[in-house]
Amino acid sequence: MSTVMRTLRNLRKVGLKDYWHQLQNIGDTKAGTFIGTDRYGNKFYENLGEELPLRTRWVDYKDHEYDPSQIEPGWHAWMSYMVDKPPPKDTIIGQVRAWEPTEHRPVLTWSRSGYKPYNTVKNKYSPWTPVAKPRQ
Amino acid sequence: MLSTTRSVASMALRAKPSTALLPFRATSVAFLSSTTPKPATPGLVVGNPGTPPPMKKARREVPLPSQEGKQGAVQYALTTLDQIANWARQSSLWPMTFGLACCAIEMMHLSTPRYDQDRLGIIFRASPRQSDVMIVAGTLTNKMAPALRQVYDQMPEPRWVISMGSCANGGGYYHYSYSVTRGCDRIVPVDIYVPGCPPTAEGLMYGIFQLQKKMRHTKITRMWYRK
Repeated sequence: MSTVMRTLRNLRKVGLKDYWHQLQNIGDTKAGTFIGTDRYGNKFYENLGEELPLRTRWVDYKDHEYDPSQIEPGWHAWMSYMVDKPPPKDTIIGQVRAWEPTEHRPVLTWSRSGYKPYNTVKNKYSPWTPVAKPRQ
Repeated sequence: MLSTTRSVASMALRAKPSTALLPFRATSVAFLSSTTPKPATPGLVVGNPGTPPPMKKARREVPLPSQEGKQGAVQYALTTLDQIANWARQSSLWPMTFGLACCAIEMMHLSTPRYDQDRLGIIFRASPRQSDVMIVAGTLTNKMAPALRQVYDQMPEPRWVISMGSCANGGGYYHYSYSVTRGCDRIVPVDIYVPGCPPTAEGLMYGIFQLQKKMRHTKITRMWYRK
């Protein structure tokens, strides 16, 4: 719930530069404590006291064209309220296991690296060139 | 692969199905193996179109869309025009709901206040003539397929299709049924495939985000100018 007083109060806390930045990206004025940055550069914030439930943790994406898959799995767990502590402070979720990929990769759909399907079996249908009988 | 080469290759296939492929295969395999290429092509039935040409060709460096740059004032102006058009397209996305089965329940969850599609400018329309994107949600049966195609044909351009759920993607659970179309992409061209049985409302929402990403990178007037 955004009111004029809340917007002004948060604007006073975050400053004009962050206000403009937040208006361009998340479309709201939010003030909270800076929790951390993931390896890609997304910044994570938290305000458990004043914000509504499920809006208390938010992310400031590094890219302007952001995508939810740019958040790393550990930070995603923190964002989705699966864990209480963020990955730098959580000993279990912060460690990289042997089977985990060392580098997080976002969804690559519609990029040059996106998956393109191809067929390796014989065609199920065969094209033909229709032959039209000339008019008489 | 270039579209011109593909059409040329397919036309060559159509004209001479048994002989057109032989030089193709011999050259493509030659750099992989040191053994002598076998002249016989197993599995090539007389009358059939034969195997498609190899996907891998000689490596060709292509500049990325971000590296292409803009030359001249016209391209700058057209880029801005495209941005305006794409912004208008992606921020008022009116889906034609083609709810066929349980996926439609999850599609309804997208419109309820928790996921709140209205804030994205998505309003369900019952008429195909007023809609931009068709969400095929559920099992497409053979009996329904002509109706689906007719509804798709009634939609005005530009139009997109989201195939939602494994049944619409490729038949899914009912793949071997006698009465089910094995994927709605046999009937209409599909832009986004949302996996799941059924996909969650978040999953469908992410599919819509991907569709918006596709719209954002569409070069409408720039491609027209290039031609």
